[in-house]
Amino acid sequence: MIGFLVRRLLTTVLVLIGVSILVFLIMQLVPGDPVRTMLGQAATAERVTEVRHQLGLDRPLIVQYLDWALGVPRGDLGQSLTLSQPVSSILFPKLGNTMILAGGSLLICLVIGVPLGMVAARRQYTVVDRGSMFVALGGASVPVYWAGLVIINIFALKLGWFPTSGMHDTRNPGGFEDVLVHLVLPSIAAAVVPTAVVARMARGSMVEALHADHVQMLRASGVPERLVIWKHTLRNILPPVVNIVGLQAGYLLGGVIFVEVVFNWPGLGGQLYTSITAGDMPMIQAGVLFIALVFVVVNLVTDIAVALLDPRTRKEA
Amino acid sequence: MVLSGRRFRQLFAVVIALALLAACGGPSASSGASGPPRSGGTLAIGIESEVDVLDPQRAGGWVSWRVNRQMFEPLVDEDLTKPSAETAVPALRPGLATSWELSPDGTVYTFHIRPNVKFHDGTPLDAAAVEFNVRRMWDKSFQYYDAKAAGQTTFVWQQLKSIATPDPMTIQLTMKQAFEPFVRLLSQGGSGSTGIMSPASIKQYGNDNVGEHPVGTGPFKFVDRVRGQRITLARNDDYWGTKPYLDKVVFRPLPDPSSRVASLRANEVDMIAVPPPDSVASLQQSGFQVSEGAPPHVWFLSFNFTDPIMKNKLVRQAINLAIDRQGMATNLLKDTVKPAYDVQAPANAAYVANTEAYGYNPDKAKQLLAQAGYPNGFSTTMMTSVDGSGQIIPVPMAEYIQQNLAKVGIQIQLQTTEWISYLTKWAQGTPTGVGWAQQSWGMTTPYWLYIVTSSSLKAPNGPNVGGYSNPQLDQVMQQAITATTEAAAVEKWKEANRIVTDDAAIAPIVNDKAPYILSSKVHGFVSASEEWYDLNTVWLS
Repeated sequence: MIGFLVRRLLTTVLVLIGVSILVFLIMQLVPGDPVRTMLGQAATAERVTEVRHQLGLDRPLIVQYLDWALGVPRGDLGQSLTLSQPVSSILFPKLGNTMILAGGSLLICLVIGVPLGMVAARRQYTVVDRGSMFVALGGASVPVYWAGLVIINIFALKLGWFPTSGMHDTRNPGGFEDVLVHLVLPSIAAAVVPTAVVARMARGSMVEALHADHVQMLRASGVPERLVIWKHTLRNILPPVVNIVGLQAGYLLGGVIFVEVVFNWPGLGGQLYTSITAGDMPMIQAGVLFIALVFVVVNLVTDIAVALLDPRTRKEA
Repeated sequence: MVLSGRRFRQLFAVVIALALLAACGGPSASSGASGPPRSGGTLAIGIESEVDVLDPQRAGGWVSWRVNRQMFEPLVDEDLTKPSAETAVPALRPGLATSWELSPDGTVYTFHIRPNVKFHDGTPLDAAAVEFNVRRMWDKSFQYYDAKAAGQTTFVWQQLKSIATPDPMTIQLTMKQAFEPFVRLLSQGGSGSTGIMSPASIKQYGNDNVGEHPVGTGPFKFVDRVRGQRITLARNDDYWGTKPYLDKVVFRPLPDPSSRVASLRANEVDMIAVPPPDSVASLQQSGFQVSEGAPPHVWFLSFNFTDPIMKNKLVRQAINLAIDRQGMATNLLKDTVKPAYDVQAPANAAYVANTEAYGYNPDKAKQLLAQAGYPNGFSTTMMTSVDGSGQIIPVPMAEYIQQNLAKVGIQIQLQTTEWISYLTKWAQGTPTGVGWAQQSWGMTTPYWLYIVTSSSLKAPNGPNVGGYSNPQLDQVMQQAITATTEAAAVEKWKEANRIVTDDAAIAPIVNDKAPYILSSKVHGFVSASEEWYDLNTVWLS
């Protein structure tokens, strides 16, 4: 297990370095000068050159990259070009907000998706099964942006139960409760697709497990159904379900960007978009690095969880 | 059985109950009643994008100046209490200078600083504070010189030769030559501004951090900023002028247009900027107010003078006549804009309506094309952005032009780019093969024409992106700039407009009306002829 962890961590570091170089190079290919954008239409060439020099953008690319990359291990993610503030002071709060939204969605996804799939499997080919899987298929096919607009229209505008967007009340921003009220609709919107996917996956695994030889044997031996499900089936479906939930967690971090736009949730996605449109290189670098890091960590945690749940994968690792 | 049907229903019931409980804190609707202005309340404004830094000298974009302007004031200001319908060009009024004089030769400006004004941090305003600010934007040898602030305000300070403070409340700015546009330029914002900041705050936080702790003299002072969520300002009870009615103002960035409309309908904000054109009528029917003005906002095309076809004046004139400006304003943009009939906007003292040159006349356009040697038209490319500050809806507008020009035989291909890349490309100068590049811009000072057409500012050195060069125009504009009275300058600027129009160097297309949608409880909001507004007169019922 230790060797497995060390190997995975090393890969993680390599992946992150690769990602940062790739992002850096891609941004160099994109036409557009952040200083031009900063100074607007009226900028003269002379002034642009002056500010470029001040920001160090006239140095060789390799120097710019190394300067940034060597700061990262020290926790220095650089300064935002346009905001003149440390990248971390802008990005960390935004990352936190994205995590809150992704966490809320993941919770909905687990609380609804897994039981829904299990109930459907337990009642295979009944109306319950076909009905819930039909809804799940629909959910998996819905564009997030559209779902968000429909949800806002019904629950915020027509019924007035929840605010339309944002994370806090505009006039009197409150604390935890205020955030919770604002979290409900965006997390539902972000959860639609993952919930549907997890439900279908849970159903499939459950159906397979219920048809396994040992389950037939247990039933034939007169073991109570409750024990069959709880003790002998549940554990078998957990590894694939944990796997898919891990994948969905990664998807959520990417997918909530659309939800952040519709619900004006002040997360990483919106910030990254703003930074990309301003060509703010240090912000883009750090933002992408964060997302890659979270993705890799979630995958790692998933793999460890699966290894703990399923001794067979542990031996392979 | 893991979850029986009953348990499952119970679970759902709990989830719904929690959701309902949470909803109790949701918004509620309120209605307005008019009467005498009332003090108090918080005005929440849904703005179209995140604000740049709260450092008025550094900040780019109108959105940022709309916020910064409530906290910072220049020496000379524009009176924004009169709507465009009453006053086409906002009058200049004393800001942090109570009065000013110009030497007979037009080179020395003497400003008398307003006495007994304090910055929000309690430090006094005096000539030394003003000098500190000017040097920050202009004097490379100054300890607090800021290249970003200098880059934004280049055109304001380009003629400044020296600064003197003959007494603690007087500042003298000496120009290299007479520079008539100077006073009006002091009142401008959007590309930086000359809003005066507390020198103590700059010394304390440094040039890079002072934007996080903005300290000015304006009617509102800074409370907090949570990026992506809000900027909160509170009334400055020690304000030297008329104190605002509002206790607080919250600017909330809502970049998604449908979110903006939804937030307004749900009473989460009291007013929104840049409503989607299609939503204006239905919002009005629902009881919301529409406030429109005539800001100096020109959506225009700069013809490419390095292109062999575009060099032909008849071709440029034909294009101007082939574009149905009124049709675009009414059919495409639902009258949220007005057709533009001059290179300057109506919010500019030098405005001269010229429907002869810019009216819709496709038959004459065809004749001109035939005269120019293109009886069957030609093909070219139009450069435009897909989005960006003040760009309205550039791609559908470009497509409208494409259809108009096809009717006279000119086939155009659209080259669309997102804003940051576009701005860089645009500033490099229009490449050969591209007929013209689109932009939206404008100022209340006629000097704007110099910025976009002067041969000394040809791209990539300056914003004359079409590379237009006309010695006669340069001479007239020079006379306008060095005039010693405003009246004389305006006459020269009008002459300059006529030269640019006769030469068809630029095709103005529409002037934005910059509509705002307000809830019925908002009173006293004025859409003056500027890209920004004051909130001193606004009150809530």
